[in-house]
Amino acid sequence: MSASRLPGADARPVVAFSFDGQRIEARAGDTVAMALWAAGQPALRASSRDGAPRGVLCNMGICYECLVVVDGDTVRGCMQVVRDGMDVRRGGKS
Amino acid sequence: MAETADLIVVGGGIVGCAVVQHCAELLPAGARIVLLDRGPVAGATSASCMGHLMVTPDDAQEHAFSATSVKMWAELEEREGGFDYNPTGALYLADDPADVELFAVLQKQFADHGDRAEILDQRQLRELEPGLAHDLPGALFYRGDGVVLPMLACGAMLRQAKKHNPNVDVRPHTPVTGMLLAGDRIVGVQTARGAIHADHVVNCCGVWAPELAEMAGQPRLPIVPRAGNLAITGHHVTPIRTQLLEISYIRFAHGAAKVDPTRTDDPGGHAMNMQPQSNGGCLIGSTRQFRGMDRTLNKALLHRSLLRAQRYAPGLAHAPIVRTWVGLRPYSLDKHPLIGPWPPLRGLWIAAGHEGLGITLSPITGRLLAEQIAGRPTTIDATPYLPARFLR
Amino acid sequence: MSGERIVDADVGVLGAGPGGMAAARALAAAGLRVVVLDEGHRAGGQIFRQLPPGAPHEAIAEPPSHAHGHALLDGFSASKVELRSGAIVWDARPGRLWFEQDGTSWLLRCKHVVLAPGAYDRCIPFPGWTLPGVITAGALQVMVRGFGVVPGKRALVVGSGPLLLPTVTALVSAGVQVVAALEASSRWRALRALPGVLGNGARLREALWYGRKLLAAGVRLQWGWTVFGVEGDGRVQRATIGKVDADGRPRRDTARTIEVDVVGAGFGLVPSIEAGLLLGCASRLLPARGGHCLVVDAEQRTSVAGVYAVGEACGIGGAEVAMAEGELAAAAIVRLERGAPIAAAVARKAARERKAADALLRAFAPLPGLHELAQPDTIVCRCEDVTLARAKAAAALHGTSHRAIKVGCRAGMGPCQARICGPSLQALACGQPFVPMDLPVAQAPLKAVRSETILQAPQA
Repeated sequence: MSASRLPGADARPVVAFSFDGQRIEARAGDTVAMALWAAGQPALRASSRDGAPRGVLCNMGICYECLVVVDGDTVRGCMQVVRDGMDVRRGGKS
Repeated sequence: MAETADLIVVGGGIVGCAVVQHCAELLPAGARIVLLDRGPVAGATSASCMGHLMVTPDDAQEHAFSATSVKMWAELEEREGGFDYNPTGALYLADDPADVELFAVLQKQFADHGDRAEILDQRQLRELEPGLAHDLPGALFYRGDGVVLPMLACGAMLRQAKKHNPNVDVRPHTPVTGMLLAGDRIVGVQTARGAIHADHVVNCCGVWAPELAEMAGQPRLPIVPRAGNLAITGHHVTPIRTQLLEISYIRFAHGAAKVDPTRTDDPGGHAMNMQPQSNGGCLIGSTRQFRGMDRTLNKALLHRSLLRAQRYAPGLAHAPIVRTWVGLRPYSLDKHPLIGPWPPLRGLWIAAGHEGLGITLSPITGRLLAEQIAGRPTTIDATPYLPARFLR
Repeated sequence: MSGERIVDADVGVLGAGPGGMAAARALAAAGLRVVVLDEGHRAGGQIFRQLPPGAPHEAIAEPPSHAHGHALLDGFSASKVELRSGAIVWDARPGRLWFEQDGTSWLLRCKHVVLAPGAYDRCIPFPGWTLPGVITAGALQVMVRGFGVVPGKRALVVGSGPLLLPTVTALVSAGVQVVAALEASSRWRALRALPGVLGNGARLREALWYGRKLLAAGVRLQWGWTVFGVEGDGRVQRATIGKVDADGRPRRDTARTIEVDVVGAGFGLVPSIEAGLLLGCASRLLPARGGHCLVVDAEQRTSVAGVYAVGEACGIGGAEVAMAEGELAAAAIVRLERGAPIAAAVARKAARERKAADALLRAFAPLPGLHELAQPDTIVCRCEDVTLARAKAAAALHGTSHRAIKVGCRAGMGPCQARICGPSLQALACGQPFVPMDLPVAQAPLKAVRSETILQAPQA
């Protein structure tokens, strides 16, 4: 999957966060899930028992498939807006 | 023509499933065993309880009773599995200095029955459970305890039963509407889908056991519901690996304390109990309160559980709580379960009234009842649990 | 201390989609104090998702109906309504809504509650649907319209119902090649929707707009086709597609494989009724409207005094229905509070829009045969990793009710609380495609909230 952004000038400031130690650049107003999708990282969590990769399913806070750990708290990646310097880790089974 | 069976078990919770499993093993090959439940198998108390396997060393009898049962759980895991069996051991915790002395009290109780629990100091506790608060004054660690997922365990027991005896017939969503009597004998049950005749009927209805006994015209059984409020977290957030109990638990939970089950305004007892789940979640209890069949959440009591859980595992403050609910324990008025025949009505048997130890004690309960029905010697002394004691 | 975390209002509105916004705007215009609680980041709900300020939006083509959305959004923003975004409502009783916002526990006290929680995508499990890159049709639209993110290079769109069209156009305007767009219903079945479209000028214009967009993009909707499975190494790489019969059963002999990197699946919508159930509102199973729906009277009143419901919670109907019902609920409350009668036109419009939506959606009622897509090893409950085989074993042993299947395999007990697997679980596990789902049980917390939020909940 090689995702990107819609064309046109983006007036939003760049926001950088870390995903499992990797630097990800996002735009202000992005959610963690969308920033990671745009960065080519759709797998956000390891499923609870099998540890299989899972990513956004509903993108509106219903399915809990995009759970990530942000600064120690388990949150839905599709609802969590990015902040500069945020520490994001893959959620689920480790 | 009415249907016939050799044995009917009413109530598809953990106790009913254990009775079916052990009857399938001990009754003659090919015996027709029917399990009936008005709802799903494992749909009531066994789906709304915690899942601890807990050896209780109150006295020699209780120790043998619970320890034998916990061993049987390990055997079921080996033979069948599939119910999230996890022999975590149990950590008895305290934060009140007055409770710390209880470590030694409980340790001695285990030792009195040739069993062993270890007192951990602060450092040892932190090594075992790094997610616990660092200021705790140590703990008592008993390795023999564990955790299962009761609703899946019901399925494992029934699968075992069917392997021993293909004639085991499980019928959920089949309410019993009446009991068929002939003089001083029970000869079967009436269900919403017709009558079934049988020589033996076992009442495994837990908090609803008195209701079934009344259907047979029997006096009210001495079992009352004792409510617990529970909460469960999301997956992979739990900071714990071991089953945790507050040691103050032993002051009032199963044997010790004086309680008055006739008081429906019972303020409720409370001691934190936390169990790690196989999906990385954490089950949080537990409270005790007599208030009839009411299953509405007691928020104040639930909050106490959550607060105590956070006190011991501070990381839980930010853990997402996915569900909260109430379960009803079948509390027997003399605090011992009823396992055995009900003499006034030949053919009627009871296995119920385990309060908070139904999961722990279900295998031995199923065994003792099956042994009695089959006319065999019992694995351990079964006389303390004979229901006839309430007829004196 | 907790006094600072209590908000008072005349009306509390749950949801800032078209229904909630329309109700709130009208209530505020009548001088009532209105607080809207919404989980999203900006008003608009799912259908009128707005891009974050500053994001480029030139590329996105919008159908004519979205003009109503913009007008509503403008009116809503200009009104005195207090919008609480990012608010998770987790407990409720009439006149009281408890919510978590920015990690803090709040209580909204209000005289009237208007439920406008909307809907979520109906998911039908198929092999490989858990791979990253398979997302709902709604999620794809949110991605493009709400965040300006391009979902991939080569997309497959599958499902059933009118929402496939905005999904395809969103992808097309984002420059994605739509390799196939598969509508499971047959063309003949879809013809039943015609009276609903032809009898309603706005819907007809909408349909023609989509038709032109698809034509210009060279995308042809394939009727009676769907996805049989998806494969890939850690993410979507290939999909197998094929024809289905009139009931939606896969015709395996027609299978063929295509290369795609994103799959959008939209098999209709399911009404979000959990808050209504927790409040004690009566519900009714209406399969053509998406499942269990809240019951309302001709003025959007539920069975519980002081609780109103509008839009998708009363049955799937779309934004126009939601807006009309939102205005009607507001009018009913304004009559109570201010004595102003309900304008006949408001009630008529709500009834007319609902009737047109019902006529349209009849043609896309869920096809039972699609439950045959899942294979024994296909995950049906994503939260608890439960396969179809395990769900079937649970139904065989524990019973065929929704609760029996749940307790027999733990399906539906995870964080989503059966919102994703629930609508199909019973039919799948019982192997009887027409089995309707039992009414779900609603309990607090409606959605997962922190332990601290429960402990700090202000007392009513």
